[in-house]
Amino acid sequence: MSFSLFSRRFLASVCLAMSALSHAQEGTQTASYSVNDSQPVPLLSGGLAFVPTWEAGTPTLVSIISPVLLAPLGKDLVFESRAEFEGDFQPRNGTAGDFTGAVQKTLDYMQLDYIGNRYVTISAGRFLTPFNVFNERLYPNWIRNTQSDPLIFPLGTGSDDGLMFRGGISAGKNLNLNYTAYFSSLSGIDHFESERHVGARIAAFLPRERLEIGASLQHQLQQQHLNRLGWHLVWQPMRVPLELRAEGAFSGPEGSGLWLEGAYRLPNARFAPLRRAQVVARTQAFQTGSIVGLNRDLPVSDTKRTEFTFNYFLKDGWKALAGYGRTFTALGNSNIWTVGMTYRFLLPLGSRQ
Amino acid sequence: MKIRSGFICGLMGMALLAGGKLASSAAKSSVVSQPSLPPQEVDLRSMIEGEKRYRINCGRCHQPPHRFSPREMAMAVRHMRVRAMLTEEDMKFVIYYLTH
Repeated sequence: MSFSLFSRRFLASVCLAMSALSHAQEGTQTASYSVNDSQPVPLLSGGLAFVPTWEAGTPTLVSIISPVLLAPLGKDLVFESRAEFEGDFQPRNGTAGDFTGAVQKTLDYMQLDYIGNRYVTISAGRFLTPFNVFNERLYPNWIRNTQSDPLIFPLGTGSDDGLMFRGGISAGKNLNLNYTAYFSSLSGIDHFESERHVGARIAAFLPRERLEIGASLQHQLQQQHLNRLGWHLVWQPMRVPLELRAEGAFSGPEGSGLWLEGAYRLPNARFAPLRRAQVVARTQAFQTGSIVGLNRDLPVSDTKRTEFTFNYFLKDGWKALAGYGRTFTALGNSNIWTVGMTYRFLLPLGSRQ
Repeated sequence: MKIRSGFICGLMGMALLAGGKLASSAAKSSVVSQPSLPPQEVDLRSMIEGEKRYRINCGRCHQPPHRFSPREMAMAVRHMRVRAMLTEEDMKFVIYYLTH
C-alpha cells in the first residue's frame, strides 16, 4: 500500500471519527458529575535529577531538568509538552581532571489532546511513542525505581510526530481495557525528529488483582520496514507492598530482550525512618539481532545486567537513591554505581482558587 | 484498489459512528444509574471509591503527590487521564477524592 493511499484512508477515518465523537459528546456532557466543576489551571510541573554514575570506572555527572507544561484549552482540549535538558559531564582526561560535556536539549512531547468521549482521546503533534509502558509512564527520574534505562529501551520508543487515538474503557466490574493506535510521519526538523511508524498497544487491567498485561506492535514505514513486538506486565499485589514490572521487546534485525523489576516498600518497619525506604532489584538481558549496529543505541553484543537500588522518599517530592549494578558482556564485565537525588515540582500558572 | 480502500474507510467510519452512538447511549444510561441518596451519603461513597481508585491507578507508577488545590488537581488528573489512560469514571472519582 502506498504512503499516499494510506494517508488518504487515515485522514478519511479521522474525519469520520471526529463526526462520531461530536455526536457522542452530546451524551457525555449530560453525564458530568458536579465534582468536576473546578476549572483547571495551567501548570508547570516536572522533575530535577542529579545522579552521578560510575560505569566501568568512568564517572559521569548526570544532571537533568525536565519541565512539563500543561494548559487547558476549553472543556475538552489539553495542551501538554515536556522538554528535557540533560548534561552528562565526564572528566576531560578520562578518569581525572575537570568535568566537561555538552547539555542535550530534547523535546519529548508537544501535543494537543482532544478528550472526545469516554472511549477515545485524540492526540496530535509530537508524542511519546506508545511502545510498551516505560517510555510513557515510568521514564521521569522521579518516577523510575532504577535510574538507568532498560537495555531494550531504544527498541521502538522515543518520540514521534503524528496522530494518536487512545483511551481507557471499563469493560466490567473487574476489567479495564486501554489502547493506543498511532501513525507518525518522517521529520528531520531539529528537535522534532521522527520516523514514519504505524503501531498500536492494547492492555487489560484487573483492578482487584492490580494486574496489567499488555502487548505492543509497531511497523516502520521506511528504510528496513522493521516490525517490533513488545509486551509488558505490571503487578502490585494487594497484601504486600511490592511492585513487579516487566517488559519484553523483539525485533529480528535489531535484537530482543526483557527486563524484570521488583520493588519492595517497608511501611511496617520497626525503625520508623525505614518506612520511607524502598529496595529494588532489576535484572535484564539483551540478545543482538541479525544486523548488529542497526540501532546505534542498543548494545553491540549480548548483554546481561543486574542492578540493586535503595530509594528513600523524603518530604515534598525529594527522593534520595543509591544503586549498584553489574553488566555481563562478551566484551568484558563492569560495575555501575549510582548515587543521587531527584525532585518533583509543580507550580500553578494562574490563580489556585 | 480504490474501491477496496473506500470500502475499508466506509467500514471504519460506520464502526466509529456506531461507537459514538454507543457512547451517547451509555452516557445517558449512566445518568439514570446515579444513586438517589442524600448528598452526604453520596459524598462518602465517592470518597471511598475515589481513594480506592486512586490507590489502584496512580500508585501503579508513582508516589502520592502533594495536596493540591482543586484547580491544580483538575489539570493534573486531566493530564493523567491522557497519559495513564484513566477511564472517565476513574478520573472523576480520583478528582473528588483528592480535592475533598
